[in-house]
Amino acid sequence: MAFSFLNPWLWMGALALAAPVWLHLRRRVETNRLLFSTLRFLDDSPRPRSSPLRLQDVLLLLLRALALLLLVGAFAWPYLQEASRLVIRESRVYILDNTLSQQAANRFTQDRERLVTELTRAGEDIQIAVVELTDQPRALVALSDSREDARRRVRAIQPSFRRGAYLAAFRMAQSLLANSLGERKRIVFLGDSQANQWKENLTTPPFLEQVEVELSRPGASNAPNLALSEAQWQRIFLGDKALLQLGVNLACSSPASNATVSVRSGQETIVTRSVPLAGQPGIVALQAQWEAAPGRWLQGEVTVAGEPDALAADNRVYFTVPPVREGKVALLAQSPYLRLALSPEVMRGRWAARVLDPTRLDGEADAARQAEVLVLESSYLQSTEVRTLVERYLNNQRGVFLVVNRLGLAAGAALRDLGFEVGRPGQAKPEQPERIEYFVSNHPIFRPFLSADYGKLLDITIAQPQRIKPLEGMALLFSSSGEGLFFQGTRFPGRLFVLGFGLDRGQSSWPSHVSFIPFLDLCLQNARPGETTPLDYEPGSTALVTPPPDAAVKEVVLRDGQRELRRSPVVHGKAQVRLPDQPGIYAMSYDNAPEPERFISVNPNPKESELTYLEAPEALKLWKLERQGRAADQVALGSPARISRAAMLEQRIWWWLLVAGMAGLLGEMIWTQLRPQHP
Amino acid sequence: MATSSSTPATATQRSLAERFDPKTLAALEGLDFKARYIMEGFLAGLHESPFHGFSVEFSDYRDYQPGDDLRHLDWRLFARTDRLYTKRYLQETNFRFYVVCDTSASMAYRGSQAWGSKLEVARLLAAALTWFLLRQNDAAGMVTLERETEAPEFIRPSQRQTQLGLVLRRLEALRPAGGARLARLLEHTVRLIHRRSVVLFFSDLLEPSESLAQYFKQLRFHGHECLVFQVLDRDELEFPFTDARIFEDLETGQRRIVTPAAARDRYLAGFNRFMTAHQELFRSLEMPHCVVRTDADPWRALALFLAQRKRLK
Repeated sequence: MAFSFLNPWLWMGALALAAPVWLHLRRRVETNRLLFSTLRFLDDSPRPRSSPLRLQDVLLLLLRALALLLLVGAFAWPYLQEASRLVIRESRVYILDNTLSQQAANRFTQDRERLVTELTRAGEDIQIAVVELTDQPRALVALSDSREDARRRVRAIQPSFRRGAYLAAFRMAQSLLANSLGERKRIVFLGDSQANQWKENLTTPPFLEQVEVELSRPGASNAPNLALSEAQWQRIFLGDKALLQLGVNLACSSPASNATVSVRSGQETIVTRSVPLAGQPGIVALQAQWEAAPGRWLQGEVTVAGEPDALAADNRVYFTVPPVREGKVALLAQSPYLRLALSPEVMRGRWAARVLDPTRLDGEADAARQAEVLVLESSYLQSTEVRTLVERYLNNQRGVFLVVNRLGLAAGAALRDLGFEVGRPGQAKPEQPERIEYFVSNHPIFRPFLSADYGKLLDITIAQPQRIKPLEGMALLFSSSGEGLFFQGTRFPGRLFVLGFGLDRGQSSWPSHVSFIPFLDLCLQNARPGETTPLDYEPGSTALVTPPPDAAVKEVVLRDGQRELRRSPVVHGKAQVRLPDQPGIYAMSYDNAPEPERFISVNPNPKESELTYLEAPEALKLWKLERQGRAADQVALGSPARISRAAMLEQRIWWWLLVAGMAGLLGEMIWTQLRPQHP
Repeated sequence: MATSSSTPATATQRSLAERFDPKTLAALEGLDFKARYIMEGFLAGLHESPFHGFSVEFSDYRDYQPGDDLRHLDWRLFARTDRLYTKRYLQETNFRFYVVCDTSASMAYRGSQAWGSKLEVARLLAAALTWFLLRQNDAAGMVTLERETEAPEFIRPSQRQTQLGLVLRRLEALRPAGGARLARLLEHTVRLIHRRSVVLFFSDLLEPSESLAQYFKQLRFHGHECLVFQVLDRDELEFPFTDARIFEDLETGQRRIVTPAAARDRYLAGFNRFMTAHQELFRSLEMPHCVVRTDADPWRALALFLAQRKRLK
């Protein structure tokens, strides 16, 4: 191991050497001294010399002098032997980008080989460290590691599917260089310089001080790519049919005219279709729909193929869909349509409705009896107990579906408390029925209605819409006059949906429309509390799994098919499961149970598919800390009159002289103890 | 009046000396136990009890009020006048004593033959006398200097039983510190004591008598009675050292290389001159002066105190 300040044994040795010095200083008490009350009657006695030297102490004096001579020589050595010293000319940190985007055009392999070559070529006067850039950068090779170890570790790196953290990697490189010995400090970035990575860090204050940065050039400003991402699914019930609707985003930065998209669920290929790309925007939303059994897990993948495509690793997206779980609905409504729609005959297996008695709402305070979603009409908001119940649902992160069939003063005040403003009572209502004209098509509730299978929402008429304006929320459905008809509130932790008209034939034609049951079902699905544990993760991330408290689970087991990957202990009711680096579908089970408890999908971050590069990123200029007088410092460092601290610390003989000096002091202390004491 | 520890011991004193065992004293934890042990042992050796009764003197009458103690009703006057009167008494006036203890750094010295340092001996004597005074219903107070700032620490004289604990706590907290601070202590004593009192002064007096004389004179001028207990070690009185050593002054930090065989005569001559000057000073001021050796029993000092108290009575 090299003899330098970075060696921890050196510091421990230095501490050990300090011990005899401390003991020596501590033992410097005069054994021949007597503390007496007063010397006023002994004034004529001679005064002692402060450091008496006697003939018999010559050997001691010589030993001390030798020790001091060695110490002085140790400190002077760097100046005396400057010509023969080994100078660390440069300290260099390579940042090897190992993110998904680096797999484009085989760039990662090329950069890895370049790094191995440079490790071989670099002389002894260059210190080299390597930082692997992933979402959690790590120092793969330290400055003090041998070159052989460094080459072996670099060759062992395999391409990953992770997102990167440029800022963290540069900070780590800066900290390594701050403790380095080289007069020149350099960071060499072996990466693709993704534009979105640099733009994420434009507001970071400067931190790169006296460091040169070299970027490897990507060769082009962007690369053609086809990528799939953000698989979103929804279970929809249409009559007796249980459907699964799946949506994915196809990102296209390729000049390809067609792409072939294939959807597989389990072992079955659902659909394979050629998608024309000419004239399409950069991101195309694709949807597929098929019948799927509601009572079991679904696992599948969507793939895309097309040419040219620089990055093939992002052409696949995995998804998992849990079985349908029957939800609980509390109902406070007089509308016969609403009651019928939530009856067991219609919603069996999906929603179990319980009609509340408005005169006995005290029992609803019991949390165990609370349903997941409360459906009520605004006429009940006149009751204080009902208003309290609504707030309790929303504050407990449960859902509320409010149908504003009547708008009195109390209901108006309650709506204001919920984040909505109501029109003045005297405000004129439209004489003619209004139609639904617009809806937010990318909202999960209305996305299925892009398909005509569920009926046309634009055919629905509203006779008496209430004038409601969201103060804290947003409108999702609009009439032909531009008034909002359906809203989502955002004031509370729970989800609140407000329908701006009653569900009676006199107020709206929607209850008799074919889209009413799917709409109500989708509203309730979106209003219910979400899953506490997500089903989709990024490679290498950590999932926080909360097993049911009554199951007494000790370990969460992660499996890839039948192969067990790892076991994570459950501590305080939670388990931290580190997910694999490879995308795919994985199963989680509890303890030694044979059946999986849940399936999760691991998909790469879609930002890694944006193959747009920057040659001179603005962020890098902002990170550099420029100081006045830096050039003058560099001149002074290079001049023979001044030797850098790094060069001084690097002197090997310097340390041996120090050790000898300390040993001399130790010997002096022993000699002092062994020699005869004077009277 | 001046006494010296070098006078021949009487038979009574020899008996008392047998009672005093430094090992037993060291085994007693706490200054209150030591003080009681010393004083009760001393009093047990005396033929005549030094305690005297607490007498009261009739003063006048006042009208009886419901709730008054019936024992103080004057039944004869009631028989004569048919009216109820209660007798009032005038309590006997006792003395006010002040313990003034020097805490100069030189008081830390403890010779090889001593049973305690000079400050420890002074502390024990002061505690024993305080215990005795409070049992006699005399009022005891205290004046010392604060260790760091040399500010005066004053305990007002009182006859309460809690006063003993107060004085003992302060005595136990005394630590030798600083340089020569005797003159400053005397200055504060003169300034703080107003009513006529008896001052028990404990010190080694290792300062020039000229610098102390003015303060002792002021004390006498204000009408105070002073008893000076000069605590000295055998090493200071006899200078018994044999080996040449570096002597360091506890108060000033000065150093001298001393060869005792050559320096002893000069030391003893100077020390005797110093003692003579002090004795002359106290004789001229009519202040009782007692030398207490740290290697001897304290009976002489206690006897001096009792004799003086009887004289004051």
